[in-house]
Amino acid sequence: MTPIIAFRGVGKRFAGVVALADVAFEIMPGECHAICGENGAGKSTLMKILSGVINDYDGEIAIRGVPAAFRGTRDAEAAGIAIIHQELNLVEQLSAAANIFLGREKRTPLGLLDNAAMEREAGALLAQLECPLDPRIPAGALRVGDQQLLEIAKALSLESDILIMDEPTSALTETEVARLDRVIARLRQRGVTILLITHKMDEVFRLADRITVLRDGRHVKSVDRGTTTPREITGWMVGREIADHDFHGKRARGARLLEVRGLTLPWPEHPRGYRLKDVSLDLHAGEIVGIAGLMGAGRTELLETIFGAAEPTWTGEILFDGRPVRFTHPKDACDAGIAMVTEDRKRLGLFPDLDVAANVSLCGLRDAVRGGLLSRTREEAVVAGPLRETAVKTSGPHAAITGLSGGNQQKCIIGRWLLVKPRVLLLDDPTRGIDVGAKAELYQLIDRLCRNGLGVILTSSELPELLALADRILVLAEGRLTAAFSRAEATEQAIMEAATGGQAPR
Amino acid sequence: MNLSGTSGGGWRLPRHELALLGAIVLVFVGTGWLDPNHTYFANWAESRDIILRNTALLGIIALGAAVVIIAGGIDLSAGSMVAFSATTCALLLALFSDVDDKRLVTVPPLGIAAAIGGAMLSGLLVGTLHTWLITSIRLPPFVATLATLVGLRSFARAMCLFVTKERWGSESQQINVNTPFFGWLKEHNVSISTGTFLVLAVVTWLILSRTVLGRHLYALGGNEQATRLSGIRTENVKWFAYCYGSLTAALAGVFLMADSSVAQPGNLARGYELNAIAAAVVGGCSLQGGIGTVTGTVLGALFLRLVIDAVSKLIKASADVYEGMIVGIIVALAVTLTQFSQLTKAGRTLFPGYRGLAAIPTIATFAGLLAVMGSANVEAFRGRTGLLGLAVGGGVLLLLFAIRGAEGRGTS
Repeated sequence: MTPIIAFRGVGKRFAGVVALADVAFEIMPGECHAICGENGAGKSTLMKILSGVINDYDGEIAIRGVPAAFRGTRDAEAAGIAIIHQELNLVEQLSAAANIFLGREKRTPLGLLDNAAMEREAGALLAQLECPLDPRIPAGALRVGDQQLLEIAKALSLESDILIMDEPTSALTETEVARLDRVIARLRQRGVTILLITHKMDEVFRLADRITVLRDGRHVKSVDRGTTTPREITGWMVGREIADHDFHGKRARGARLLEVRGLTLPWPEHPRGYRLKDVSLDLHAGEIVGIAGLMGAGRTELLETIFGAAEPTWTGEILFDGRPVRFTHPKDACDAGIAMVTEDRKRLGLFPDLDVAANVSLCGLRDAVRGGLLSRTREEAVVAGPLRETAVKTSGPHAAITGLSGGNQQKCIIGRWLLVKPRVLLLDDPTRGIDVGAKAELYQLIDRLCRNGLGVILTSSELPELLALADRILVLAEGRLTAAFSRAEATEQAIMEAATGGQAPR
Repeated sequence: MNLSGTSGGGWRLPRHELALLGAIVLVFVGTGWLDPNHTYFANWAESRDIILRNTALLGIIALGAAVVIIAGGIDLSAGSMVAFSATTCALLLALFSDVDDKRLVTVPPLGIAAAIGGAMLSGLLVGTLHTWLITSIRLPPFVATLATLVGLRSFARAMCLFVTKERWGSESQQINVNTPFFGWLKEHNVSISTGTFLVLAVVTWLILSRTVLGRHLYALGGNEQATRLSGIRTENVKWFAYCYGSLTAALAGVFLMADSSVAQPGNLARGYELNAIAAAVVGGCSLQGGIGTVTGTVLGALFLRLVIDAVSKLIKASADVYEGMIVGIIVALAVTLTQFSQLTKAGRTLFPGYRGLAAIPTIATFAGLLAVMGSANVEAFRGRTGLLGLAVGGGVLLLLFAIRGAEGRGTS
């Protein structure tokens, strides 16, 4: 039988960073094929290529044996490929029916919109999907689970026979998950091939016929479900050479700086109801606590709550230096001595219009003032220290920040925070999108800061990073702490199992 | 980055400012030469006063607009703020003068101080209102200041009717101001408003380039989230920005009232907010926020007023009719030119597909009609305006088709 999709040596680089390299595997018609991998393993990139979002890549994709050259998503749609993104693509103000037929509106002989026909057909499609809702309701008024079925209905109306679903259950309630399972079964009866992107093991083993594992942009294995176990799959997901850094020898653990007790952060609009539930942790001076967890597990929310940047609706207790604190603005946290390097440098950290010095000095401008006015020489003096300490490579303090490499930009941001003389440093996935060499330098920097007495909480989507740096590792899964490891106990396998909820204590 | 001059040291004018400076010289010399009366050379003093006064009034408001725009916001209410402040000023004068003095000839010094202080205070109040609407109610700046643009003028008119009725027994849409102090302001309006403009420009430059607050304004406009996460209270920075925007408009209101010896909230300074924003944008401020300079804004205001003056001299039509067109064209051109490299890179074309095809006759028609109207009062073209219009329209049509043809070859 001809495979319905064949990847042949597919590769893709983003600005020099390899996202995919030489990926080759096949998908047979009518099967449900799970694609597993850690954050950054290349799943999304591969699916973007398959759905025509990315069209400059190496290698070849054959659909039903014919090499495909999609110039855009329309070409992929015409080839019968539909993708249900994790972030749904609906026009919330338009009705369900209008969303299904967006861009392919039905018309009356007079050329006017034929709403009646569209609503009739939309209603029929939705009914097939166990979603008997009024097609005139605006999409924005629907629950997430129904919105997702709306997207599936759209795919059906396009007569797609290849359906890609990216983390389809991440925002669903249990009943909605059960309904989705039945919908998937029904689609398969109609001969639809389903690609399931997920890192939840229970889902993989409940739904998929075959499983492909990607790791660091490479194809690891494609196996039948019957011949493997969740343990083996998680093992393949993480099983890379552990980075040969080991920084945690002989750090002197000092006094307790931070205590978090029973922290719960509600999330009213989500079926789960909380972003964080009953999270407790300790942080001592001279110690690095690592927080592991998949995307959406609540890592960022945990740090933001401590830093006073989250919605102030949380309950529980945060003690800093033994005193209860409740920061409502990052300013309060800065003044108290807590600094946070945010995830997503570009969106939350950098000021692209300001130069290197201005980017760094932002938290220490008070010291650059003489007679009420900013002094250029003082500002240069203020930033000289952090720039030296973090070893930023730049042509000078007045170079454009956008001209620096990702690693050097990140050092600038860490340098900015050193100016508030923090005692606790929160690092949210600090090495994301940074090349290997720069990562090692950042590891050394973080280790050095810690040895100087800083308490560090580090989150990362890369387990080897946590294993190399952290004294203790806590694992978050869906807003709860599911495991805590000392450095000696922690292995990638055990962390991944706790993070995917595979064999985690519930 | 281009915080030119901001970084203190070397006074290096960046490209945008240099280009504006060049354009200003070009327009000046060109107008002086082409104008059949050679007014700029023959009667320089008069032209200079008109240009300076208009530039100062526009520039004062533009400096406020620039601060708001750099901070990543927008203030659409400046024109109404001018009217509101002028009315407040005149009404306070009325309250401090003798009841029989309806022309407001004698007002005690305290009354004058209170009137000017009250006008400034009205600016602070409106700026505070904007900040509250934007930061607490979470209205987009566009909506919040659109509401005050519409509402403040109406409020000022109602206030005018109410106070004149209560004070003098008869409702009036306007209040005449003949106080000697404001007469003196009017007499020296060129030097005083220009002086105020220059002082304000220096103050604004100092704030933006040499204070912590200024740095925070640039940071806020460049990346609001990151600014907050860097421990800066962005609400307070916004408070300053919107108050500065309203205060500059309030200041312009006092000058305008003095200039015309009357506060007439119905029509005073209508549309000024858009000219001020245009001046800031022509001067290099980015409506995305985070980018802009005082030098650029000052030059932008001067350039706009100069071109308006030049056109009225060359085609001998009344300036205010053509003002909107000139400002519109210059804004579009200025922003196009600053983005030109991006426009032509990435394989994009100016006239793609049917959309592009449809744009060409539109532009040509406008150009032709403009040529007909613009040449109506010019001696050299008397009786041949129709021909000129056809020639200009046809020429533009051919030129744009030629560009489109060249693009087509380039891409295929």
